[in-house]
Amino acid sequence: MISAFKINKWAGITLAVIGFSAQAAPAPQHIDVKQYKKVEDVVVPLPNEVFAALNKLGPVNWKEFVRTEKGVNFSERPRTALLLGNVIADGFIAVQAQDAPAVKEIGQRVLSLAKGIGVGASITPHAKAITEAADKRKWDSVRQELDRTQSSVQGAMNELQDQKLSQLVSLGGWLRGTQILTAVVSKHFTQEGAELLHQPDLLRYFGDRLNSMPEYSVPVVESIKRSLVEVRPLIETGNRPISPDAVRKINEITTRLDGEIVTRQ
Amino acid sequence: MNPHRQVIFILVVMPLILGATAIASVDDAQSFALQAAEPYVREGFQVREDYWGGDLAAGEKKAVRQQLFKGNEYWFWLGTEVRRAKVSVHIYDKEGKLIEQPDSWQKGSYAAAHVVPTSTDSYFIIVAIEESPEERTHWALVYGFR
Repeated sequence: MISAFKINKWAGITLAVIGFSAQAAPAPQHIDVKQYKKVEDVVVPLPNEVFAALNKLGPVNWKEFVRTEKGVNFSERPRTALLLGNVIADGFIAVQAQDAPAVKEIGQRVLSLAKGIGVGASITPHAKAITEAADKRKWDSVRQELDRTQSSVQGAMNELQDQKLSQLVSLGGWLRGTQILTAVVSKHFTQEGAELLHQPDLLRYFGDRLNSMPEYSVPVVESIKRSLVEVRPLIETGNRPISPDAVRKINEITTRLDGEIVTRQ
Repeated sequence: MNPHRQVIFILVVMPLILGATAIASVDDAQSFALQAAEPYVREGFQVREDYWGGDLAAGEKKAVRQQLFKGNEYWFWLGTEVRRAKVSVHIYDKEGKLIEQPDSWQKGSYAAAHVVPTSTDSYFIIVAIEESPEERTHWALVYGFR
């Protein structure tokens, strides 16, 4: 999220001149999507995107999902990367719950993990901004800083040519988000809630990425690989809706993985 | 302009202008995309920090595949710093059907596409440089949701 844009004088002037009344030029009604080169295999959403959709289906007691345990630090970089994504997702949950103390603790935890993996410098200002915004109960600003934190962490990893670690950060966040999504939908099952799990391309993407990182073959990564294979048939249901049993099963799987990500084994 | 000022202009100002053009980057394109997004932020859209970009020749297109969630509403904004370029962005579902809202727009170096997904799935965001005076034109795509 952004509140302070990178100001470009020419952009501002041009926009002022053209206004926003322009109409879309005619676009073909149908295309063959396979013919296009892709910039990215698939864009991984942040946890707050699915939380936003979940919020529209009815009230969610976000407080019951807030977690602030300090947890352990790992020496293995892939484990730290997964945990970083997981803890940033916890930050988004704490924002949903409007729990300022939890947000502040999570901000410090993210900073500590980022330092452990050598990218702390990139997020120190964000951790400070998270604390300040939480103190003022400016939830949009906290959300924005969490987004920036993840972006900065991944940007720093990419600069270090460690794109695989960056992908593990996304995966850690996605798993925690999916765990919460399935927990909420399991409690008050609706077809609309279950449909939010329909993410087969993301699942395939993560599976492919994990298969391409044999150097990160730590037990938790192997466990996630196997679990993604388990989850696939539960969400790839063709025209049939995703069942309550499938949602429960995915919750069990993601809860088990969450335990493996956050605890030393 | 007197001759003395002309010399200063040629020796000092022109190289700065040319240099600035030469070092234009995807980051510059991003600032244009964010400018297009700004009015929507005031309407409650959360704009994601990440962006996607690159450079394309005139007439070239690229796809960004993205997971969207039913219940959310999305805007995608495309921008380039090349002022006489024309860009476009459109959204298709997996079957290649155009699914954007009619208030999507395209004007010069900015374009935006609006989508309210009817199902949770991955979608294709097609970006194009329709026209450009440059051989390669930077572009950047940002998106927001509410």
